[in-house]
Amino acid sequence: MARHLIIGGGTAGMNAIRTIREEESERSEITLVSAEKPYSRMVLPYYLDRSIAESHVYTATAKVLAGWGVKAHLGRRAATLDTAANACTLDDGARLEYDDCLIATGSSAVRAPVPGADGGKVHSFWTLDQAKGVLSEIAPGRHVVMVGAGFISFTILNSILALGAKLTVVEIAPRILPRMVDAAGAELVAKWLTEHGVSIRAGAVLTAIEDAKAKKRLRFEKGPDLLADVVIMATGIKTNLEWLNGSGVVVERGIVVDNHLRSSVPNVYAAGDVAQGRDLVTGAPAVHAIEPTAQEHGRVAGANMAGKSIGYKGSLLMNIVEVCHLDIASFGAWDDGEAETVTGLRADRPAYRTLVWRGDRLIGAIILGPSSDIWTTNDIGMLKGLVQSGSPVGRFKAHLARNPFDIKPAYIAARTTNLLLPETVLGRPAKAPGETPVAV
Amino acid sequence: MTTLTAPPVRVLKIIPERCTGCLRCELACSYMQTGEYRPAKSVIRVSPFEGHTSYAPYTCTQCAEGWCMTACPVGAITINAVGAKDVVDDTCVGCKLCTIACPYGTMFYDTDTRKAFKCNLCNGAPACAEACPTAAILYEETPTVDWLGDFAQERFEHALALEAR
Repeated sequence: MARHLIIGGGTAGMNAIRTIREEESERSEITLVSAEKPYSRMVLPYYLDRSIAESHVYTATAKVLAGWGVKAHLGRRAATLDTAANACTLDDGARLEYDDCLIATGSSAVRAPVPGADGGKVHSFWTLDQAKGVLSEIAPGRHVVMVGAGFISFTILNSILALGAKLTVVEIAPRILPRMVDAAGAELVAKWLTEHGVSIRAGAVLTAIEDAKAKKRLRFEKGPDLLADVVIMATGIKTNLEWLNGSGVVVERGIVVDNHLRSSVPNVYAAGDVAQGRDLVTGAPAVHAIEPTAQEHGRVAGANMAGKSIGYKGSLLMNIVEVCHLDIASFGAWDDGEAETVTGLRADRPAYRTLVWRGDRLIGAIILGPSSDIWTTNDIGMLKGLVQSGSPVGRFKAHLARNPFDIKPAYIAARTTNLLLPETVLGRPAKAPGETPVAV
Repeated sequence: MTTLTAPPVRVLKIIPERCTGCLRCELACSYMQTGEYRPAKSVIRVSPFEGHTSYAPYTCTQCAEGWCMTACPVGAITINAVGAKDVVDDTCVGCKLCTIACPYGTMFYDTDTRKAFKCNLCNGAPACAEACPTAAILYEETPTVDWLGDFAQERFEHALALEAR
């Protein structure tokens, strides 16, 4: 019986496990090592604002894992990987042998390297435990200072406001969302947030966090100090790869993988935040650290571990976040400074589009608009479809240059649907979440 | 060649040449899905072509990949008894990942309930097809194809030619 070892119980690992069970022709042995009980980070903002219970965040309970026939080592971390002996040693000394293994150890939050960054009332928001820490401190009227104005901080912005706290966001870059939207888009979002009562301070270099009686004092290179009841550090993440030192697995920015999600060691796969795989649009190796990439990596790796030969076309970089009923989304090579770019702004709505072209194919896009505007949501999907399919839009490009808001007729007339219909990640229709075969 | 749709399933077949733009499908859809006549809540949407001289309804293809379904981090999108991808309201948290994952632009988000919603083929009795007075929307056992592409291209080319004059 083949022995699969899955290291990491996040999105990539859990998708791999499900897919192995869906694809295998003979029953295999699956072992999971996970430092935490499997849960979804995507839904932690909804746990933070108390719209869902803690039980809702878990992606597999012990019972579900048992149902899938998975031997789980929960609360344990992988300490070393011996690829010559095909064995992984855990932090409690246990030694697990495998025929093939998947590294899906994800990433961790990092804090700005300033004095006081590890002090009391200073939190990261990445893991469930960290979410609990933040939740315990936020109360109506409290002043929350969020350090970092990127995707992670914006995912919890609504939750903090919903809990009745006052919010200030500080960002070291000259503008907010530097890795998610362009400057004009960021300006629109900053104005929107200011109108909704959020204070924003961009270009602010934090130098220290000090205790100030019951509060925290944040000091900056320039400008006045800020007094906070709670500080949240959303200053980036790093991949969890140190434990692979000496394993022989080739690591650059992430674990280098081929189009089957195989690392430099043929029976060792990698998926999700730790994997440096192909970017769909640029074709270059990239570490995306986003949920959809972890899902697709996990499924492709799982299928290949189950004996299939599934080539992966690459991951499309994409993000969406809603702040105060304004949707913000971007796709692909939206920040390619060399590429031909068209923008459109309707300040009254407000709505904004950036279309980034290579010839007559869309390679990136930014879209901003009110969540209540149906065209925002529909255009979000169609822009994704245009970038994903690389649909040549021909003469309709000229129309989109005149009116970057009129996506739909160009999308349909370019026969984008026809290009997309045959596309599947695993070469077959996807199965519903409840359809995963359980142990017999 | 791999079969991408598990037969036999009935799908919404759209014949755009027959559409008159009356919007009854949107009314019927919203009524069936929400209990209200609110086209803003319809998950089939009639689009104008050629400077509002022709129209065609557009909705979920129930694609083989089910990009919305595989993207959902909490398994809130499933396949119902008639083969349609459907949102389980109690499980959906409203994270919108499905709206960026669907490459067809046929996911919707309700700002009141904070949930995603989409075409679920009305569990086998699609109200849009029932309501269409010109049989432009049929519910048939047939492979899903790009129903609108050729129609839209022809109409849009014509509109572009007019624009260019």
